[in-house]
Amino acid sequence: MDIKSLGKITKWMESTDLEEITWRNGESKISLKVNNSPESHNKFSSTITPVCSPSIGVFRFAHPGKAAVLKEGMTVKKGAELGVVAAAKELKPVPAPVDGVIKIISVEDGQAVEYGQPLFFIEPK
Amino acid sequence: MFKKILVANRGEIAIRVIRTLKEMGIRSVAVYSEADRACLHVREADEAVCIGPAMARESYLHIPAVISAAKVTGAEAIHPGYGFLSENPVFSAACVENGIVFIGPSPRAIEMLGHKSSARKIAVKGGIPVTPGTRDCVTKDYLKEAEKIGFPIMIKAAAGGGGKGIRIVREKEKLNHEFEMASSEAKAAFSNGDVYFEKYIDCPRHVEVQFARDSMGNAIAFPERDCSIQRRHQKLLEESPSPAVNQKLRGRLEEAAISLADTAGYVGVGTVEFLMDREKNFYFMEVNTRLQVEHPVTETITRTDLVREQVLIAAGEKLSLSRARASAFDGHAIEHRINAEDFSRNFAPSVGRIEEWIVPGGPGIRLDTHMYHGYTLPIYYDSMLAKLIVWGPDRAAAIARSRRALGEFRVGGLSTTIDVHKMIVDSPEFQTGDVDTGFMERLLKSRQ
Repeated sequence: MDIKSLGKITKWMESTDLEEITWRNGESKISLKVNNSPESHNKFSSTITPVCSPSIGVFRFAHPGKAAVLKEGMTVKKGAELGVVAAAKELKPVPAPVDGVIKIISVEDGQAVEYGQPLFFIEPK
Repeated sequence: MFKKILVANRGEIAIRVIRTLKEMGIRSVAVYSEADRACLHVREADEAVCIGPAMARESYLHIPAVISAAKVTGAEAIHPGYGFLSENPVFSAACVENGIVFIGPSPRAIEMLGHKSSARKIAVKGGIPVTPGTRDCVTKDYLKEAEKIGFPIMIKAAAGGGGKGIRIVREKEKLNHEFEMASSEAKAAFSNGDVYFEKYIDCPRHVEVQFARDSMGNAIAFPERDCSIQRRHQKLLEESPSPAVNQKLRGRLEEAAISLADTAGYVGVGTVEFLMDREKNFYFMEVNTRLQVEHPVTETITRTDLVREQVLIAAGEKLSLSRARASAFDGHAIEHRINAEDFSRNFAPSVGRIEEWIVPGGPGIRLDTHMYHGYTLPIYYDSMLAKLIVWGPDRAAAIARSRRALGEFRVGGLSTTIDVHKMIVDSPEFQTGDVDTGFMERLLKSRQ
């Protein structure tokens, strides 16, 4: 195997989720390993932006006593408060990371959420 | 009894606690940071929730996140493990406030015993020997004060801490000079020139006693652990019983621990640490109000489960062991802390992926670890890979077994301290049991 094909194979491996391959040809053998941990593997191309929970806790669309107004298809401005997460006595706001349209709401009012859990998906404008 | 308990920790100690919960038929909840998704404790628990980013102060140390995790999962109690929030009175109070049982002593007990001077007062009240010293700052008659204690003495800055502002005086001729130096140093470093005297213990051993006390006031103590093998105040190897303690002295050590627990009205499992001099006098050092890293050596020689006792006490039940049962033991146990450190480079931390993980087994071996082949060690937390605990019918047999087990242990991908432990067990000084807290420094120097 020449260097060129090695490069090609490595490139190809990076486009998959393979971490390691071994190639045998008669007496000769070659093993290739690439760093394909899920963190480094981010080949998805999509413009849609997830909005993740800033904390573990209970999600609320609005502060206590206020009405929820958020609906799918609504346009939001970057920094607009989409809801809050209550962790013990702490209230953490969930701001919109970009200007855009709310495509998916994947959380219900009063639902327990984890840190980093996607709550909304926004199509940026 | 509790139906579900949250374990507010990570790695090997989280797994250790989860194991007992499984055996007791209690459901377990693991918490993890973003850097710990692949950590083994997450898989071992019945449920797991992500509580924050990699930095500990935003996840494992963030009180609202941990309390909230218990609330959303419906856990009735929290086991803190060691480190992180285990000795934080604010956290233990937050648990109480939120109707969650903290598996450990009350916030008041943590505060009282966590503070050096108030802990010392409790020890004195309980009739436990403390290092002789002047109670207040020394301003005049200092030769008289020093002679009352007996040389060598330490001059300590009242406002100091962490080993700063300490001078050792071995003979009275040097006292004048050293006193002036210590006082002006203290003034420069802490803007407070006050100093006090304490007895300096030459080549001490570090000996500690595990105790437990339930809410009905039943108290038990276990045979002592010897933790003299340390490097820069970090324990490397612990054993039980101590080769320097006979049955009579053991009885006195256990008595002291129980007296301390009773005096403090302590409810929970804890450890009292002593310094022991060459004449086998022991002096109170401090109390740890949590489970300790080295608890398995006690469990091994007494065939008990300390986590189980912690859970029973927290649930308001009676200790499952009598006093006689807790002090009875069989054989000898040694714990080796295997860290991801490169000792040829002054114990620099080593990080990376575990490429090979072949562990020792066979008779008398216990391995507490969260490692597995392919695991990548995160850089955010401590460097301990595993605790290898060996048991033998006597100390010599345990040492022989340690040597065999360390030889079987093979780790690839990063540097470990396995070879340091091989050096320790091969040293004649360790084999005779004649060690003190200066042992590691001497051993490492002799190898250079």
